[in-house]
Amino acid sequence: MKKRKITALLTALAMTAGIMTGCGSGGGKGAAADNAPAADKAPAVQESAGEENSGESASSGAAQEVTIWYYWENEGHQVTLDQLIQEYNGSQDQYEVNAKYVPFADFKKQLSIGASADELPDIAILDSPDHASYVAMGIFEDLTGKFDVSNYYEGTVNSCTVDGKLYGVPFGANCLALYYNEDMLTQAGSSVPTTWDELMETAKALTTDSVSGLAFCSVQNEEGTFNFVPWLWSTGATSYDISNENGIRALTYIQDLIDEGVMSKECINWTQGDVMNQFIAGNVAMMVNGPWQIPTMQSEAPELNWKVTLIPRDKEYASVLGGENYAVINGGNVDGALDFLTYATSEEKVKFMMNQFGYISADKTIAESQFAADSPYYPFVEELNYAMPRGPLAEWPGVSDAISLAFNQVITGTATPENAAAQAQATIDGIVK
Amino acid sequence: MEKIKKFFRYENVGMLFVLPAFLYMLIFVGYPIIHNIILSFQDVNAGNLVKGTRNFILFDNYLELFKDSVFTSSLWNTLRFTVSCLVFQFVVGFALALFFSQRFSLAKPVRGILLVPWMIPITVTALMFKLLFATDIGIINFILRSLHLIEKNIEWLTTPGTAMFALICANVWIGIPFNMILISTGLTTIPKELYESASIDGAGKVQTFWRITLPLLKPTIESVLILGFIYTFKVYDLVYVMTSGGPVNSTHMLSTYSYKLSFEMFKYSKGSAVANVLLVILLFVGVFYIKATTEEETD
Repeated sequence: MKKRKITALLTALAMTAGIMTGCGSGGGKGAAADNAPAADKAPAVQESAGEENSGESASSGAAQEVTIWYYWENEGHQVTLDQLIQEYNGSQDQYEVNAKYVPFADFKKQLSIGASADELPDIAILDSPDHASYVAMGIFEDLTGKFDVSNYYEGTVNSCTVDGKLYGVPFGANCLALYYNEDMLTQAGSSVPTTWDELMETAKALTTDSVSGLAFCSVQNEEGTFNFVPWLWSTGATSYDISNENGIRALTYIQDLIDEGVMSKECINWTQGDVMNQFIAGNVAMMVNGPWQIPTMQSEAPELNWKVTLIPRDKEYASVLGGENYAVINGGNVDGALDFLTYATSEEKVKFMMNQFGYISADKTIAESQFAADSPYYPFVEELNYAMPRGPLAEWPGVSDAISLAFNQVITGTATPENAAAQAQATIDGIVK
Repeated sequence: MEKIKKFFRYENVGMLFVLPAFLYMLIFVGYPIIHNIILSFQDVNAGNLVKGTRNFILFDNYLELFKDSVFTSSLWNTLRFTVSCLVFQFVVGFALALFFSQRFSLAKPVRGILLVPWMIPITVTALMFKLLFATDIGIINFILRSLHLIEKNIEWLTTPGTAMFALICANVWIGIPFNMILISTGLTTIPKELYESASIDGAGKVQTFWRITLPLLKPTIESVLILGFIYTFKVYDLVYVMTSGGPVNSTHMLSTYSYKLSFEMFKYSKGSAVANVLLVILLFVGVFYIKATTEEETD
């Protein structure tokens, strides 16, 4: 009888175990990351480099593997990265670089699991606001003095600097700006808005039964926070100080956009990609979005007549700095990683990557000559002067969560701007102070 | 020699057969669970996941959770979601099973087609329902407006109350075939003779249902409800894709909140504490299920 009870309990455990998908099977997948050393794998390079084949091949041995994790789902980005890697692999035979795509939604999870299971890549190309958290985790190599970042935009360098030490190299920079449908604007007889009041007026004029005046991604996560902070910062409020006149004004403005019907509540379910799709479908007259949408917009909707301008201001112009950083994992193949990064951050390669990606170089000198004045990318270079980074703070995800909850409460009407701001402030104080 | 013979007695050989499965369970099921329990008693975050000391703070994570309004609401949400889904999918599934147990020409193929919702990947179902319930472009609002039942579009997924309703609808749609097929199978195990003799004795349809069908289906119904409870309680992908716990955390379930704490906010210990609450609740249900099924076997 006792035995039976034990089997019963075990079976029950087994049944419930299936539930722990996030922790159980997810962990298994993380551990299965193809990180196996390919010591026996002959590098493809050697086959193409004919003269080395004869006597050298025995002594030179196999190349060391260097693994990169990245999260770009955009096919163009993937092809470009692959091209860079192939060129690098062809240029030398000491290292063999491989890149692995990890979906953005899984990226943080995989890095966390990898960190605790010791199954990490050698290089990670990660979202800049998360950089500080992983530095705190202690998985990134200190790169101080190894790369010259003096010409880089201050914000991009700050995002990978902790306690005065450099823990990464900015990959590229981007920021948010305002796109507008020029035909709709001309039709409504409006001019390009530069202040919040003008934006509200223009948005009202552009709103019809089937068209929303304005849209920006307001999802309750980092992506939404990214799109909300320009409004917050424009009032003079900071990410850590919201429950005041300025913070409340920013939230009230968002509430007004919803109440006046010029922005759809659906924005809380729209990613930046969804917002862009609504814009090119003609359902939205103006949107806040990043420069990485431009290649898609040009190929999907070549007829659409749109332009980009600075995000209208309350007190001052503000935008948010986005983009990825390279980070080198300590304990991995650090030498190989550094060698590849030195190659990838050379001016020629940076220019190639940025132009293919639709990104702006984090290197100021490259960025300023990167686009012609009539290029749709040009306003983003201008906007970059007003762009500030989120954090850098190891606890940024907590702060970001509080901020995104606040504007979601306001948009859905579940809290007044005052209450939402006070609640967010309480959470943030608990984290920062 | 004698000893070896003794060792290979019937019971011991049985144990040997169980051994591989037992080891597998120990490593791939037992270890993660125990690890997770230990994790929930520690204070692990981004700062000490890899290096540094992991302090044991015992029940602090759990105490903190019960003060956390998002946790209590997600616990309540999970229960509400599970019970509502169970009731609807069971009743409709049962009705459909009874309907298709009648002999008519298309019964079998149509019953097969009804299994489709169960076979579609949940992410696909979730995306589909997200579109159905969309405010401006959703077909549900379109139909309601065409029928003049509503004047303004309902903001299904952007209003806290209705978002939960939409999730329940999607899950019921997935769950009905599961209930239907299990109950159908149960129905076929009831001997036809019982119905024949009942009708000779003059029992009506309603009487046969309550006196024969229902009592004889009791074991099936128990399994369907308990398995249904477990499958529904651990819902994750559907919610993650349709609402991600929003709007304003109103549709967070234990599973989605656990994920968010662990992998979006780097509060690993707190996230695993949430997962353990989920585990304990389901463990109770699981034990209850085993008890119910073993009792029937011994009957």
